[in-house]
Amino acid sequence: MQRSRTAVQWLSVCALTVLVSAATASPARAQGSTDPNPGALTLSGGFDFANAYFFRGIFQDDTGVVMWPYGDLGFALHSGDGALKSVSLNIGTWNSLHTGDAGSNGPSGKLWYESDFYAGASFGFGKSTTVGVTYTVYTSPNQMFGTVKELSFKVAVDDTGLLGAAALKPYALLAQELDGQADGGANEGTYLEFGIGPGFSLSKMSVTVPVKVGLSLSDYYEGISGDETFGFLSVAGVVTVPFTSAPTRFGSWNIHGGVEFLMLGDRNEAVFGDSSHVIGSIGIGLSY
Amino acid sequence: MLSISRVRKNAQALAVATCTTLMLASTPAWAQDAAAADPNPGALTITGSLDFLNQYMFRGIQQNNTGFATWPAFDLGLAAYSGDGGLKSASINFGTWNSLHSGNTGSDGPSGKLWYESDFYATLGLGFGGGTSFSTTYTAYTSPNSGFTTVKEIMFKFALDDSGKLGKAAVKPYIAIAQEFDTDIATGQADGGANAGTYMEIGFAPGYYGISKASIAFPIKIGMSLSDYYENPLTGEDSTFGFFSIAGIVTAPLGPTTSFGAWNIHGGVEYQALGDTTEFFNGGESNQVIWSIGLGFSY
Repeated sequence: MQRSRTAVQWLSVCALTVLVSAATASPARAQGSTDPNPGALTLSGGFDFANAYFFRGIFQDDTGVVMWPYGDLGFALHSGDGALKSVSLNIGTWNSLHTGDAGSNGPSGKLWYESDFYAGASFGFGKSTTVGVTYTVYTSPNQMFGTVKELSFKVAVDDTGLLGAAALKPYALLAQELDGQADGGANEGTYLEFGIGPGFSLSKMSVTVPVKVGLSLSDYYEGISGDETFGFLSVAGVVTVPFTSAPTRFGSWNIHGGVEFLMLGDRNEAVFGDSSHVIGSIGIGLSY
Repeated sequence: MLSISRVRKNAQALAVATCTTLMLASTPAWAQDAAAADPNPGALTITGSLDFLNQYMFRGIQQNNTGFATWPAFDLGLAAYSGDGGLKSASINFGTWNSLHSGNTGSDGPSGKLWYESDFYATLGLGFGGGTSFSTTYTAYTSPNSGFTTVKEIMFKFALDDSGKLGKAAVKPYIAIAQEFDTDIATGQADGGANAGTYMEIGFAPGYYGISKASIAFPIKIGMSLSDYYENPLTGEDSTFGFFSIAGIVTAPLGPTTSFGAWNIHGGVEYQALGDTTEFFNGGESNQVIWSIGLGFSY
């Protein structure tokens, strides 16, 4: 998912688990294990559970259960051997459902705290460099925050070819708020994020250790003493276990879970009331 | 596929805007894969649509009376089973259907927000011999701009595809019964009434194909209250007859199936004759004409 909303990736929805179990147990599943989807569209999605939700270090909720259903549809528009290796278009939605104070147990009485929509284009160049641009609208169906519209740019390098298992996969993300504000401040903010995503694979699982830092270039973390540059530092460990060793007719499903440690800047600490927090999550994912 | 007047649950799918189609159409990949046969032989099917309408009537109940409605929808289907026994097929679908309003119940209304409705549904469909099928759908109808309270419903639908027997004369009849639950007075009900309602719909969907690559369908349906589905807000009296609908829908493919799936443009006109309660909701007008146009895809 875009919106690196957490380095941690999460786990499973009971209903989906039942659904997937039923599906993968069917005779149809056994019939084929080759690529079920050789076309140009790719579907990915998931349903995660977490004990807290911070958006780029900004506290949202840590009561009750937080659930994140999301889906992404990708279009592989171009692939070639020239300077431009690939072009893809993605559209999708990311949602946050809360049983606690920001959701059904809060003033709105409604579960659906956040619903985001995004559309983005990504361009792949040589040396595994990717440049992407994404437009995102963050909305709150239960009216807990005002709509935020944002344009972001991301540059990422997959250095696996150079470093092998020691690859860091660094990226930089620059986001500009166009209308509305994540910090509820006086001015639209400009956000910068640097991150890496090292990882390794074991026999039946993969482990990634995403690390990222979120910074305000301008008015992104506005507090009582003005804008603070440092927003947060995040270190996480995420384990992903695929359901099957190869894609089935239903695609590739996995269960994943992790722990994320967040260290907050002064502004975000003042809002949350603590300088750090640990977030646990577990979820189910699909790629097709 | 266009689903005028919201028998959307089983039907639809997602929306990708016109610009997406234009972008796809201009890419080299589009041309390269023009001859692709089946880009998606797996067990998952993705469908979607984006429709524009002058009026949104939910089972005969008016939802807006100014501006226009935009309906993005997305559906993911899982073909869980197929066989030659008594049970021919089993499928699971889930998806979302949305209505965005520019008028009095949307961005120009008290909320000032566009997003009037967002529905989520999950369907278990079972196919039997002779073209018969039975499906069960759970739907939660929610309103992000608080235009109405969340409605939860379970619906059972029995359908017959008689194309095998009648060919082009097939009428594809169906009957659906829906029950609202988890309600309170004026809460969790499509009519905003006092009691949870039970709804029944009977319909047909005859169609013709091969008209210069386009297809045309003439869905006809009637919606009725079996119990408290069309409660009059003034008298409290339940009206059995909700609406009668007849429509004409033309669907034209946007080229052959490619590696991006099959895309179409569709449009239609629907006429609704309303019952007493739905006429009241419609400002005293006993009928309504709805036009629509949209894009759809299946992958």
